[in-house]
Amino acid sequence: MRYISRATFFHHLDSRTKILMSLACACLIVILNTSFSLFGLFMILLAAFFSVKPPLSYIKITTYLMGMAIVATVISQGFFYYFEPRTPILTILPKDAGLIGKLTGGISICREGLVYGVVQSMRLFSATLLSMIIVMSTHPSDLILGLKRFGVPEKIGFMLTVSIRFLPVLAEEAKRILVAQRLRGLRIKGLRGSIRGFRFLIEPLIIDSLRKARRIALAAEVRGYTGKRTEIKKLHFFWMDWVVLSIVFFVIIVAVKNRFFYE
Amino acid sequence: MIIVKDLTYSYPEADYPTLEGINLDIREGEFVLLIGPTGSGKSTFLYCLNGLIPHVFAGDIRGDIRINGISPQEITVAEISRIVGTVFQSPETQIFMLKVEDDVAFGCENLSLPKEEVIKRRDMALKEMGLLHVRNAETFNLSGGMKQRLAISSIYAMGPNIFLFDEPTTDLDSKGRGELLGIIRKLKEKGNTILLVEHQYEDFLPVTDRVIILENGKIINETKSFHSIRTVSRERRCFKGYSSEIDIQDLTFGYRKEKPILKDINLNIRRGELIAVCGENGSGKTTLLKIMAGLLKPDKGRFALLGFNNPAIEELIGRVGFLFQNPDEQLFANSVEEEIMFGPLQLKKKVDKEKYLKLANFNTVQKKHPQTLSRGQRQLLAILSILAMEPQVIILDEPTTGLDYNNLCSLFKILNTLVNENKTVIFSTHHMGVKEFADRAILLEDGRIVSDEIYK
Repeated sequence: MRYISRATFFHHLDSRTKILMSLACACLIVILNTSFSLFGLFMILLAAFFSVKPPLSYIKITTYLMGMAIVATVISQGFFYYFEPRTPILTILPKDAGLIGKLTGGISICREGLVYGVVQSMRLFSATLLSMIIVMSTHPSDLILGLKRFGVPEKIGFMLTVSIRFLPVLAEEAKRILVAQRLRGLRIKGLRGSIRGFRFLIEPLIIDSLRKARRIALAAEVRGYTGKRTEIKKLHFFWMDWVVLSIVFFVIIVAVKNRFFYE
Repeated sequence: MIIVKDLTYSYPEADYPTLEGINLDIREGEFVLLIGPTGSGKSTFLYCLNGLIPHVFAGDIRGDIRINGISPQEITVAEISRIVGTVFQSPETQIFMLKVEDDVAFGCENLSLPKEEVIKRRDMALKEMGLLHVRNAETFNLSGGMKQRLAISSIYAMGPNIFLFDEPTTDLDSKGRGELLGIIRKLKEKGNTILLVEHQYEDFLPVTDRVIILENGKIINETKSFHSIRTVSRERRCFKGYSSEIDIQDLTFGYRKEKPILKDINLNIRRGELIAVCGENGSGKTTLLKIMAGLLKPDKGRFALLGFNNPAIEELIGRVGFLFQNPDEQLFANSVEEEIMFGPLQLKKKVDKEKYLKLANFNTVQKKHPQTLSRGQRQLLAILSILAMEPQVIILDEPTTGLDYNNLCSLFKILNTLVNENKTVIFSTHHMGVKEFADRAILLEDGRIVSDEIYK
């Protein structure tokens, strides 16, 4: 999952707007507590996700992840939901069935649990979609610049940039190490084999990363890096950003009012 | 310009000095080539000039260095970077930003120049270094040659008039080397002073004003002209057998169907041949080698190896040895001997460890951790670890990268031993001088074999 260069509404927004927006959405995910409002948020984010024009492979992965998540959450909540009232719709083990029945208080799937599971997975989906929208529509260097404008120190920003820059390099390297292991006859079988294989992967990877880190540090040093520097990159805050922020602000106010000051 | 008097330097906790009694006077606009075996102190000398010694590496430094009359010991590394620019070996670890134009501006931003000045210098460097067409590209998508060009551009934008190059072409192919030579020539024409450390320096001799040879931290020779090109003598052999080892017919391959990397490859390799596969980056060398090792499946055509038709990788393990470019991605064990025995142990093969230790004179370092060896030794160890599995066919991708003359000789001694044992050795190289060591050279261009020479 990474940045895709497109010309969509979200791509044009300022990275600061997107950072604030994601904070606001994260709050909303926590504040909203009715299945209707959470479903509404999910639908809005889903629409936003498609407006960024994700490639088919991303849509597939997202659908797959969501499918897995909803099945897991709904089933586990169906079983383990313990607030009253509980309406059992399927009893697997009655309360009075021997020792296990007594110990567990009976195992059954209840309706409230299923509903709660759906609500929880809406929260999960919204968070997933939100991060995907941000990652796909914001160039990492713009995102880091936005963070810096919000007060993240220059050196932390530089560290973030360099780590993102070296992620693909590391991934390539890990791939080659795995192939090299296979070629040396290492067969990864079972848990023990995986642990052994992992050690043979992680050790060269760490040593080589340290070696690279040293070289990077020297190169940054001779490039005059001290942490104090001019920043020529600019962020552009347009009227659209104001509109989006106003809407988000308004929604948050309404949500907070409804949740805490209703009655 | 640069005046060095009685420079002696030892790294912290080192028993002996890495540089000893260096005296040197480099004039403005001079191009100086600094050569010598690995460990002779070439890079250390550059570190003394760009201030990494003593500001980053402590240690004991004596003598005097003056650059434009200023001692690098008295000002910070950032201040020195305004007059001395340094380009390192690996382009990968000299690029910090995600976008090309941001990286070109990186150095100038660090100098805290006014915004307009940074933008002016960035655009000037992009234009003069020929990077305008990729200014908005992502840095990790660039080729090796372009990455090195980008690193130089960023330093160029900072406006130094002394350039230090520390083995800048090691990771580049011949096209990249050609481009780099062009850039260095341009820098020289603009009146910059250049100090270049390089193993494969033949290409640079025409622009060189002076050659300095370092050995064990001392200048042993300083000449105005230097034209002897070293060669390793090749053992001439006549073929012992004619049995076909690898047979490729009408092979086509592409990572994407619409863009084939290899086209209509026809090739027959016999047992006991030592073959060099030459060509530039992107010509398909590595891809061809990977197909021979069973790592990739051809889209079309026939590929047979040791009697297996289109074999799966599992069938070839132990029969074919494959070496990747970077040795560090292939060393997993805790000691040199364990590394050599790693493959045989997995395959439950009994092999004579001593024989392989002896091949590269590793007897004295057999208990050491592989990562404590020098880069050249790690390269040799990675090769030995493949050989210890006693494969019939040995495939090496760019095995000469970063090797100095001594290690190069060791490598070809090992390869010759193998061929004399009637094994088949195939290696790729972008260094045209190296192909002379082989019995046969195959030249790839744009995915096709354009020449196939057998040396007699």
